Amino acid sequence: MQNNQELHEQSHNQKQQKQKLPFKTRLKKNWEKYAIIYIFFVPIFIHFLIFQVFPFMFSLVLTFMDWKVIGESEFVGLEHWKRFFEDDLAHRAIWNTVLFSIYYIIPTMALGLILALIINSGVRFAGFFKGIFFLPVVTSFVIIAGIWGWMFQGTADGMVNIILGFFGIEPQLFLSDSDQALMVLAGLSILKVSGSTMIYYYAGLQSIPNQLYEAARIDGANSLKMFWNITFPLLKPIHFYVAIITTIGSFQIFDSTFLLTGGGPNYSTTTIVYYLYEQGFTSLNLSYAAVLSYILFFIILVISLIQRKYLGKDTQIY
Amino acid sequence: MKKIIAYIGLFFFAACFLMPFVIMLFGSFRDMQYALLSPAFWFSDNFQLVNYQYILQDGIFLRWIFNSTVITIAPVVSQMFFCTVVGYIFAKKVFPGRDIIFWVFMAVIMIPQQLLIIPKYIMFANFGWINSYEAMIVPEIWGIMGVFLIRQYLQSIPNDFEEAAKIDGAGDFQIFLKIIFPLTIPVVATVGTFSFIQNWNDLFQPLIYMTEEKMFPVTVGLASMLSKEGHFGIEMAGSTLSFIPTFLIFLFFQKYFTEGIQLSGLK
Repeated sequence: MQNNQELHEQSHNQKQQKQKLPFKTRLKKNWEKYAIIYIFFVPIFIHFLIFQVFPFMFSLVLTFMDWKVIGESEFVGLEHWKRFFEDDLAHRAIWNTVLFSIYYIIPTMALGLILALIINSGVRFAGFFKGIFFLPVVTSFVIIAGIWGWMFQGTADGMVNIILGFFGIEPQLFLSDSDQALMVLAGLSILKVSGSTMIYYYAGLQSIPNQLYEAARIDGANSLKMFWNITFPLLKPIHFYVAIITTIGSFQIFDSTFLLTGGGPNYSTTTIVYYLYEQGFTSLNLSYAAVLSYILFFIILVISLIQRKYLGKDTQIY
Repeated sequence: MKKIIAYIGLFFFAACFLMPFVIMLFGSFRDMQYALLSPAFWFSDNFQLVNYQYILQDGIFLRWIFNSTVITIAPVVSQMFFCTVVGYIFAKKVFPGRDIIFWVFMAVIMIPQQLLIIPKYIMFANFGWINSYEAMIVPEIWGIMGVFLIRQYLQSIPNDFEEAAKIDGAGDFQIFLKIIFPLTIPVVATVGTFSFIQNWNDLFQPLIYMTEEKMFPVTVGLASMLSKEGHFGIEMAGSTLSFIPTFLIFLFFQKYFTEGIQLSGLK
């Protein structure tokens, strides 16, 4: 008790001593210690507040306003939020996005895994081929979409239709068919993204210890058995991580719809972000677009929280 | 047997993945309208340069390439610098509020860019930034992901070098420039290549901030050609030219891409 008191007094004295230093000296000491923070960190933090935090909050305010590009904006309360719950097209857009995810996530993961298995199987020039598979990832959507649209022309002289003709299949309409358009767009995204899922799986495959396979081989397991009993289950954290990343990506899909279908035919490829874009920047309904962007945010937030919850246990891999 | 299957798969998928690029190159040398696919596309040796001549004489295409270069190079250079400094501060400096701020940064990563674009559009309209380079450069001078990568990397490096330098009387800036920066070059390269690809390929943001044709970056420019039901050959010539910088960066920095993608995750 006494000791404590003494200590307390001591620290009090120290504090007083510190405060007794002239203001200028203290300022100088503080500057010397934190100069790099004042010069670089503080401006970056202010930049962060202006370009990230402020827009985030401003966007929420926007949803309660009727923001006019020209003229006076007014407060309308929950009107735009109500509109969302009654807007069939918005629900359609969410459904289309979910449908797109269904077409896109599993094939992207599967193709990425297959490519990683091939690369990892000891083929020659593995690095070179890895580069080829990764090339679409770094290529702009605009370039690939231009080519994709040409390949999938819905006429008899479209390239894919000619190939299908060899198998006796009738020419398909592809992007002009409301049942097929979304699948064609998903195909484009699969080609574009599976190179990056390959990289994750490749890293995962390399982290599996070789002894496991050797032991299995001694027990007489064949390759298929080894894959299903060793490789596939051990890649579980990667399956999960890749699933989350591709899901988040698929909810943000915009480029291919914008470039190839313009949301059609008959709204069959209107995704959330495309609808948001159309509402905000074609119809200039900025406030309603802000509501849609918050809906997108909530969806992504839920997916990210699931990721945090389940992936938290397996983070040692990344 | 297993080897044979692997090689068959390898060549099959390599052919599929290369196909679009082969079509792009072939198309760019063919004087062809959109809706034609004849065997001549593949088998004639009639390579023509008309598409390239057309697109380069047009002038506006070169302007698009120039715009893309400006709004790509400026953020790349400044991100490589600022992400390193801020990553270093988070990893090695102790100051009040550091951990809370870092936590806030990490939380903000979860906000999709599409949410910020509407308020940013209104802000930039007020700043007079619509149809000017600022809208694409100023918000991108640093990035949370880059800061995160650098911080992770620096935390794995022991403090010994720094301590030694401090004893020799070096200040923070000297330590940063002479010790930290050279050490982080591999990660800085990753940050730079990522930033390059992201900015060069970005379509959504410039689509909204740039409404005048002469301010388009090449992505928006090509998209406008696409929607105008243009000429396939000319489009492919444009695509090929806009692809060259990406391809060169990829060729020289492939290692950093694959490392970076493992560390962060590209959309």
